[in-house]
Amino acid sequence: MENLTVYIRMRQRVQVVPNQKVTLSEIAQIVAPGEIHKKVKALIIHHVKPEDKHLIVIDVIKVIQHIHNVYESIDVQTVGPAQTILEIQYEKKKLAPVYFLLVWLLLFFGSSLAIMNFHEDVSMGIVHKKIYYMITGEQNNRPLLLQIPYSFGLGIGMILFFNHLFKKRFNEEPSPLEVEMFNYQQDLDQYVIVHENKETEKKLHDT
Amino acid sequence: MILNILITIFIGFAGGIAVGSGFVAFLTVLGIVPRLMQLSKTYSRIRSYEASVTLGAIIGGWMNLRHLTFSMSPLLLIPIGLFFGVFIGMLAAALTEVLNVLPILAKRIGFEEKLIIILMAIVFGKVFGSLFHWVYYVNH
Repeated sequence: MENLTVYIRMRQRVQVVPNQKVTLSEIAQIVAPGEIHKKVKALIIHHVKPEDKHLIVIDVIKVIQHIHNVYESIDVQTVGPAQTILEIQYEKKKLAPVYFLLVWLLLFFGSSLAIMNFHEDVSMGIVHKKIYYMITGEQNNRPLLLQIPYSFGLGIGMILFFNHLFKKRFNEEPSPLEVEMFNYQQDLDQYVIVHENKETEKKLHDT
Repeated sequence: MILNILITIFIGFAGGIAVGSGFVAFLTVLGIVPRLMQLSKTYSRIRSYEASVTLGAIIGGWMNLRHLTFSMSPLLLIPIGLFFGVFIGMLAAALTEVLNVLPILAKRIGFEEKLIIILMAIVFGKVFGSLFHWVYYVNH
């Protein structure tokens, strides 16, 4: 029974429900010899209590402590992230459709106002008239032949950029928006890891 | 006299360099060309795209300054208008993305699954606003 090694790799984010007993196999990938694997897998690392807030950070040190409580002489090797973020899924309050509609309308009218302001700001109308004159050699105060395709083109350009045509994609690559969402989530995780984990910071007056 | 001409040439040239490099810097920050290459899978054509942007800027600038006109059919304006719109639309979308508006908004109000619907609000808003502006607003 000498020189036994357990390899663990903490998962990045794990969703749990209130009052769940979180076992090691749920928050980490484990490689260990048969018997030990079974035992280690079922170790309860954290019991989600009602007073826990939305997020809990489980540090790998805590996991090692738990394993050592059971097998004192075991060697724990960790690979990858040093902590797991537990995300407690409370019963989601259903957002009223009215609320969603309000946000939708806000964005709709907001962006239509913004594009009108932009047109005025860059004298788009004058430029359009000038282009009409350049191409046809005639003056036209309302070059709608240019402006209506332009307006629809605006929408097409935005959809192209975000790579979404009502859920239909043009190719497999993630859209810039999805990458942006991912980066934002990563930043949030990083913040949570440092600030929710009391062990990562030591201040002068802490005892 | 000759000195005056030389100074004018120099100032014009300097101004052109400043505006031209600013234009390229702006396009680069927004990343529209890479996005288009990614969509059309034509990474190898980057040189021609550079030429296209440069030529477009030069010809557009020259035509604008010299008040050139062609006597062509107004119907030609339909594809031109469409191209204008797609370009400005990509510009607007890229600007929204640089400012990180959507990820934060979606997260704050918990609409992560409905992101596309949110996106569509902005897209339709832009189309509607633009049509409204040209068809109605400018005449009142």
